[in-house]
Amino acid sequence: MRFRHLTAWLGGISLAALMTAGANTAHADQITLHALMEDVPETQIIEAMLPQFEKDTGIKVEFQKLVYSEMHDKLVTQLTGQSSYYNVLEVDFLWAGEFPEAGWLADLKPFVDKSGFDLKPFFPSMLDLVGYHKGTLYMIPMYNYSMGLIYRTDLLADAKLAGAYKAATGKDLALPASLAEYVALSKFMKASGGVAGAAMQGQRGDPNSMEFSNYLFSAGGAYLDKDRKVVLNSPEGLKALELYVDNIKNGAQQGALSATLDDTYRLMCDGKAFSMVTYWWMLPQLDSKEKCPNVAGKVALAVMPGGHGESGGWGWAIPKNESPELQEAAWKFISWVQGEKISIARGLEGHAPVRSDTYENKDVLAKYPFYKQALDVVASGQSFPIFAYSAQYEDVLGRQLSLAASGESKPSDALKEAADGLDGLMKKSQ
Amino acid sequence: MTDLAIEGGRAGRTRDRWAVTGWKFALPGLSMIAIVMGFPLVYAVLLSLSSFTLLHPKLQPFIGLENFSTVMADEYFWHSVWLTIKYSSITVTAEFLLGLGVALMLNRVVRLKAVYFAVLTIPMAMSPVSVALIWHMLLQPNLGIVNRLFELFGHPGFDWLGSTGLAFWSVVFVDVWQQVSFVILILAAGLASLPREPYEAASVDGANELQQFWYLTLPMLRPIAAIAIIIQLINEFRTYDLVYVLTKGGPGISTDLLSYFAYKRAFLGLTINEGSATSFVLLGMVLVLTVLFFRIITRKA
Repeated sequence: MRFRHLTAWLGGISLAALMTAGANTAHADQITLHALMEDVPETQIIEAMLPQFEKDTGIKVEFQKLVYSEMHDKLVTQLTGQSSYYNVLEVDFLWAGEFPEAGWLADLKPFVDKSGFDLKPFFPSMLDLVGYHKGTLYMIPMYNYSMGLIYRTDLLADAKLAGAYKAATGKDLALPASLAEYVALSKFMKASGGVAGAAMQGQRGDPNSMEFSNYLFSAGGAYLDKDRKVVLNSPEGLKALELYVDNIKNGAQQGALSATLDDTYRLMCDGKAFSMVTYWWMLPQLDSKEKCPNVAGKVALAVMPGGHGESGGWGWAIPKNESPELQEAAWKFISWVQGEKISIARGLEGHAPVRSDTYENKDVLAKYPFYKQALDVVASGQSFPIFAYSAQYEDVLGRQLSLAASGESKPSDALKEAADGLDGLMKKSQ
Repeated sequence: MTDLAIEGGRAGRTRDRWAVTGWKFALPGLSMIAIVMGFPLVYAVLLSLSSFTLLHPKLQPFIGLENFSTVMADEYFWHSVWLTIKYSSITVTAEFLLGLGVALMLNRVVRLKAVYFAVLTIPMAMSPVSVALIWHMLLQPNLGIVNRLFELFGHPGFDWLGSTGLAFWSVVFVDVWQQVSFVILILAAGLASLPREPYEAASVDGANELQQFWYLTLPMLRPIAAIAIIIQLINEFRTYDLVYVLTKGGPGISTDLLSYFAYKRAFLGLTINEGSATSFVLLGMVLVLTVLFFRIITRKA
C-alpha cells in the first residue's frame, strides 16, 4: 500500500516535471526582444502595435520605458558588458557619434542587403543624422523630433491684448518674425496676458541645451561652420544668449531654471503659458480634448521665428555584443516597424515620420493637416554638433547657459566658455 | 615536568585546531567580502591610474596620477569639493540637532511609542530617488502643493529648485527630511540604554534638568552620537541621487556636489578613469574627516 502510494507520488512529480520542462521548451522557442525606450507618445504608439508584430513573426518585444535623462547611462552600462539586456536600441542623435565610435553598434548594411529593405523613402537628412556614421550604416531613423514654436492662437487673436500690444509697441499683435520679436512678445504676454510668455525648459543639461540651440539657429548663429570649426562665439551667438537669458528672466514661468520638458508640457496643457519652443509632435498632445481640454483647438505650430530650429531624431540600432540569432530578430523588428505600412499606421496615430511617403500619404494629411507645417519645421532644422562627446558637450553648454541665466556669469563670458569647451572636446575626439 | 609539557602541548594544539577551524568557518565569508568589496575597489584603483575610457576600454598604458591632476586642474572640481564640505557640514549638523531634540522628546513618551517610531522609519525606508521624485513634485513652483499653500496666504510662493539662492537649501531640506529619522532612531536607542542611577544621584544632589542633560546625558551619549555623526558624514559626502533627480547640479553650479561631478566625468564624459580618480579623492576626504572626527571624540571622551 505504502509502495503504491510512493509510486503514485513519484509518478505525479515526474509528470509535473515533464510538463514543466515541456512548457519551458515551448517558452524557450519564443524570442523576446528587450528595448529601452524614452517614455514619450511615439513609444506608446509603437507599443500598441507590438501584439501585431508578435502575431506576424512570433517574436515578442518588450519595452522598458524611462525618462530621457536616465537612458544614456543605462544604455552605456549595458553596452560596455559582454552582452546587453537590450537587443534593440533606441539611439538619440546626440549619441550617434559616441556609440559607433565606442564600437557598440552592429553594421546594419548586411541586414539591409539580405532583406532588401528599401532606404530610399527615408529623408537623406535623417539618414545623415541618425543613420550613417563615417560612411557606415549603424542606425535606421526611427522618428523625428525637430523643434518649432507652439503658440496659443486664442491669445494672439484676443482683441484686448492686441490693443494693449499696439499701444505698448506700435505694432500689430502677430506671430513674430524674428527671435527678438518673439522674446518681446513673450515678455508682453507675461506682463499683460495673465500667462507665462514662454514655458521654458531651463534645467541644466539636455533641456536648456536643446532649447538654446533653437535660439542660436533662430538668431542666425551656429555651433560649427562647414569645415567643422567652432563658430559659436559670434555676435549672433551672443545675441541669441542675451535674448535667451532675457526670456528666462522676464518672459518665462516661475521655476524655468529647473524645468524639464514634462514641466513645460504640463504648464502649456494647463493653459498657463502663451508659447513653448518644443518638439513639433507635442502639438497633437496639446491639441487633444481628452488630454488638454484647456487649450485644445487653441494651439498651432510654426517654424522658429528667424527660420531655423533645432533638428533631432532617434534611430534604431542593434548592439554588437548580441548573438546572431537575436540580431536577426532585432532586424526583423526594425524593418517591420520602419516599413511603409507600419510607418503610415503610426502616422495616423500622430507619429513623427522619417519617411517622405508617410508625410505624403493622403489619409495621414487628412487627419493631421499640420503635417505640412511639421515638414517645414523638419526641412528648416539645423543640428547640434554630433561627435563622440556630444553628450558631454550638452553638460558643458548646459552649465554655461544655466550660469548665464541665473545671473552668475555674463552672457559674453558664458558663451566664450561654451565655445572653448566645444573646441576642447572636438580636439579630444580627433 | 613531562606531564606539564604534555598538557601545554595539548593546549597549544587545541588552540591551533580552534584557530584553523575558525579560519575555515570564516573563509567563505571572507572570500565573499574579497570578491564583492575587494575586487571592485582594486579595479577602481587600476582604473584611476589607467588610460581606460568607455571609448577606449583598455587599462594600458597606465598613466600614474595623470587622471588625478587632470581632474584637479578643473576649476569646477574645487567648487564641487567646497560645496560638498559645506553641504555635508550643514546637513549633518541639522540632522544631529533635530535628531537629538526629537530623540529626547521620544525618550519621555510612554504611550504610543511604537506608533511614533513606525512613522519615523517611513522616510528612512524610502529610496532617495523616490524621496527626490516626491519632493520634486511638491516643490514644483507652478503646480506643486507647497506653493499652492503659500498662495492660500496670498504669497506667490518660491522658486525652490530654480533659484540659485534656494536650490541648495531645498536639497539640504529634502536630505535632512529623509535622513533625520536614522539619527533619531540611533540616539533614541542610545538614550534608552543610559543607566538611571547617575540621574537619581544628580536629582538627590539638586541638579536641574538642564544640568542633568549637560553633565550626564551628553557625555554618556557621546559614543553613540559619534557613531551617528560619522555614519551620516559618510552618507552626506556621497549624496548623488537627490542632486540627480532634483536639480542636475544647477541652477548654474549651485548644487554640483562632488559625487555628481564624478558621475558626469564617468558617464557623460565617458572618462571612467577620471570618474574613478574623483571618487578616490572623495573617499580620501571622507576617510580623513572620519579619522579626525573619531580622534576628537575619543580624546574628549
